[in-house]
Amino acid sequence: MTTRRSRSNLVAAALVVLLLLLAYVSRSALAQSSEPVEDVQMVYLVSGVVFDEQNVPVKDALVTLTDDSGQERATAATQSNGRYALTLEKPIPDRLILRVERPHFEETKVELGEAVIQTLRAGQPVEVPEVILARTITPAFWIATFVFAGVLVLIATGTIHNTLAALLGMAIVLGVSYLGEPINDGLFIFFFQGALAYVDWGVIFLIMGMMMVIAVVERTGIFQWMAFMAYRVSGGRIWLLVIILMLITGIASAFLDNVTTMLLMTPISVQIALALGINPLALLIPEVFASNIVGISTLIGTPTNILIGSYANITFTDFLVNLTPGVLLALVGLIVYCLLIFRQDLFTGQGHGASSLLEGKLAERAQITEPDHLRKAAWVGGGMLLLFVFGEHIHLIPAVTAIIGATALLIWIRPNIDEMIEAVDWTTLVFFIALFVIVGAIQEVGLISMIAEVIGRLVGDNLTLAMLAVIWLSAILSTVIANIPFTAAMLPVVAYLTATIPGAGNKVLFFCLSVGSAMGGNGSLIGASANMVTAGIADRAGFTITYAYFFRKGFPALLITVTLATLWLLFRFLILPE
Amino acid sequence: MSGIVCAVRGGPHSQSTISIAITLARETGQPLYFLYVVNLDFLARTTSTRTHTIDHEMEEMGEFILLGAQGRAAEQGVSAEGLVKHGEVGEQIVDLCKELGADYLVIGRPQLDEDEDNVFTHARLENFANTIERQTGAKVIMPEKE
Repeated sequence: MTTRRSRSNLVAAALVVLLLLLAYVSRSALAQSSEPVEDVQMVYLVSGVVFDEQNVPVKDALVTLTDDSGQERATAATQSNGRYALTLEKPIPDRLILRVERPHFEETKVELGEAVIQTLRAGQPVEVPEVILARTITPAFWIATFVFAGVLVLIATGTIHNTLAALLGMAIVLGVSYLGEPINDGLFIFFFQGALAYVDWGVIFLIMGMMMVIAVVERTGIFQWMAFMAYRVSGGRIWLLVIILMLITGIASAFLDNVTTMLLMTPISVQIALALGINPLALLIPEVFASNIVGISTLIGTPTNILIGSYANITFTDFLVNLTPGVLLALVGLIVYCLLIFRQDLFTGQGHGASSLLEGKLAERAQITEPDHLRKAAWVGGGMLLLFVFGEHIHLIPAVTAIIGATALLIWIRPNIDEMIEAVDWTTLVFFIALFVIVGAIQEVGLISMIAEVIGRLVGDNLTLAMLAVIWLSAILSTVIANIPFTAAMLPVVAYLTATIPGAGNKVLFFCLSVGSAMGGNGSLIGASANMVTAGIADRAGFTITYAYFFRKGFPALLITVTLATLWLLFRFLILPE
Repeated sequence: MSGIVCAVRGGPHSQSTISIAITLARETGQPLYFLYVVNLDFLARTTSTRTHTIDHEMEEMGEFILLGAQGRAAEQGVSAEGLVKHGEVGEQIVDLCKELGADYLVIGRPQLDEDEDNVFTHARLENFANTIERQTGAKVIMPEKE
């Protein structure tokens, strides 16, 4: 018993010693830590923001504070909003100079005034007045500009594949940056990480997801069935057949990409025309026109809309509400125009009537080949549509919706995964990635800013003039320049105009860009990829669409549809209340 | 084996080619084969390389075009077979002529303006015809220039 008590006393004593020891250690630690706390309090904060001459925040500028002896006291890089924060330790010198450096801009030095020095010494943080960086033209400017122009020419002339042209451009701008910079600083454009920052992954994943869904839909035979139904419903009235085919193509283009739509619609339309004994071009030209204009009613209808939506954060509903009435107006004008220019084929020359042999073959082909896949695709497509429309309320971005939808569909139908992955047009995705880097290069070196400034000066504060300029410039240029790179390059320009022109904050100019760049595709054979695909298939059926032929039919279509869409946009954004 | 191969591209300018082939088949009594070649080179100028679907669609379109030609032959009492091949047009024509041991090859002559952009210029077509005759031994017949 005594032994047990003495043991308890021993343990208690040990605990007391331990507690005392802990208390001592803690106190020592506190005493030691109190010194750095005092030091932290002696760190002074200098913050500010860096803009370019167009009031656009400059990212990744190196901001340095030096004292009168030229010694660096603090350094930081600007964030995407142009802001920087420098932490300065005591003692505060009598003179502080803020130096801002960034490739493609002139180095700028600002001496902080006496008042700033005194404020810092008083322990207060300081907000330095904004620094404006002036652009400088370096050899890299010309290299990036020529590379971009060269890629446009290669694409327009078809000398090499679009993707190869874009890859070549990307390789040159990156190669010059890395290999040229050691020789001459002025050759530097950007590092690899900087280049990747220009890639809009939202666009890449949205396109990839939609490609997977389309790959399932296109194998179901739905397009052939719809075209045959149009043929049956029209009952030999070819003018009616054209209208129905234009509507089918247009609506399909609003949800699928235009190239896929025309890839699927052209062969069956040729067959219908041959069965009826009419010129297939009387069906194909109206169809491709309709495809190019109706596609812009939705976010996913054209690659240009995907680019615009992702860049300017314009939702599926925004496109639907702001563009669909204008598109319908343009479509009505287009239908009237097409009936007029093809009147000989559609009204007077009704062909030799349907051949029973060929009609039988048509009917045989007009089967839904995979009804189960079609049903599942319809359910998933409907769900995706709901998410596109309502997902914005929970900040669900379209790329995520596309990936969720594509994955859900693939899991549901369990296709051959190799075939599905093969169905994704990887060359298009690589094209977009390379294109983003090339456009990033001309943005980096200041070409885009220069163009934006020139257009800004021309239109001044006049929103109407800006709208007309963006729509018609985009439309006309899209007839000679591939509209995807053109749109990608125009996005920062339109963003600048949106920020500087009073009343443009509702993103009206982005809608103008959408209308111009897509409808402009009707102006020439090379204006849109869908035109080239249609012409290629028609040619393989012995009906050649020459550049001159397409221009004769297409340019008036451009004038009519763009005029009607312009009227709608002016009404919607200048007259109709928000 | 022997026979007449008629390469059909479709379109109004193919009609005279088809007529010549049918007439020749009737006169010689040789079997007639209409050939359509699915060639997707035109896709190289766009960003689309998804050939799996379009290849099938083009095959169907080719069969349809050939069906029209076969129908015309049947109207004139000639039985003709339709064949769809995939690949480079010239190669496929040569291969089929060799495979069938064809005596005649009937091909179309494009009706183009001189300044039109097309690889099948008249000079190139004549050269193509001579090459095929050398390679296959089949006599190449083309419609007269209109």
